[in-house]
Amino acid sequence: MPVAVEEDRLTETFAALANPTRRAILARLAQGEATVNELATPFAMTLPAISKHIKVLERAGLVVRGQLAQYRPCALDGAPLAEVSTWAEQYRPIWESRFDRMDDYLKRLRP
Amino acid sequence: MSDGINSSTDAVVIERSFDAPVEFIWQMWTVPEHFQAWYGPSGAEVTVAKIDLRVGGTRLICMLFQSPNGPMQMWFTGEHHEVIENKRLVYTEAIGDENGRISSPTEMGMPEGHPVITEVRVDLESIEGGTKMIMTHLGIPPESPGAAGWTMALDKLATYVASRGN
Repeated sequence: MPVAVEEDRLTETFAALANPTRRAILARLAQGEATVNELATPFAMTLPAISKHIKVLERAGLVVRGQLAQYRPCALDGAPLAEVSTWAEQYRPIWESRFDRMDDYLKRLRP
Repeated sequence: MSDGINSSTDAVVIERSFDAPVEFIWQMWTVPEHFQAWYGPSGAEVTVAKIDLRVGGTRLICMLFQSPNGPMQMWFTGEHHEVIENKRLVYTEAIGDENGRISSPTEMGMPEGHPVITEVRVDLESIEGGTKMIMTHLGIPPESPGAAGWTMALDKLATYVASRGN
């Protein structure tokens, strides 16, 4: 995979994890698959709100949905988590975006 | 490398070229006003940057994040190890408090004895039309969970998932 694509994917994984509700959903799924209804139970949130969070997790590849039309249970996919598991991989995107900002800032100082 | 930082470390090495002289890039790292302008990760604001620019001099950085539970402050503290103007800057970084006290691993939800200090090295070189910068962030062993604030939840989750034999 080209580096840029990998980094995009990491950004998406990080964005998906940067929300406590979504992390709670993943923690629940780590215990086994669940339906959207089951996932919504512990939260004081509407089903559409929970569905939105699940869609973000799906796009990040962290959650896969079953094909059973009626229930479509959600299950956890740990592969993207393994990608961000090393320390350097967690920090690289942070530094890269810092230096993008440094570059922008320099351009503002010396147009 | 010793200085209490684990030698078998994982590191981030980033090389960048900037269309500005080395003096400018040096100031980006060493002048609080400039450092504050770019350093905070997206969504964070650097509200305090005290930089005592000499070997043994301390650094104290405060970042303000907007979390779902309201604004959240994080303090980082460190010490300058090498200060060679326009050429090389080396400093340590650790999570601490507003008084510059380093938090213990247990306070941060990590096992006792877990390394908490990382090191940032910045090497600058004048090139035609600008500056080449090599930033090395030396961290903790790759097999350890991450040491910094917001990644902790992710690490806990990853460990949790792994323990479930996913």
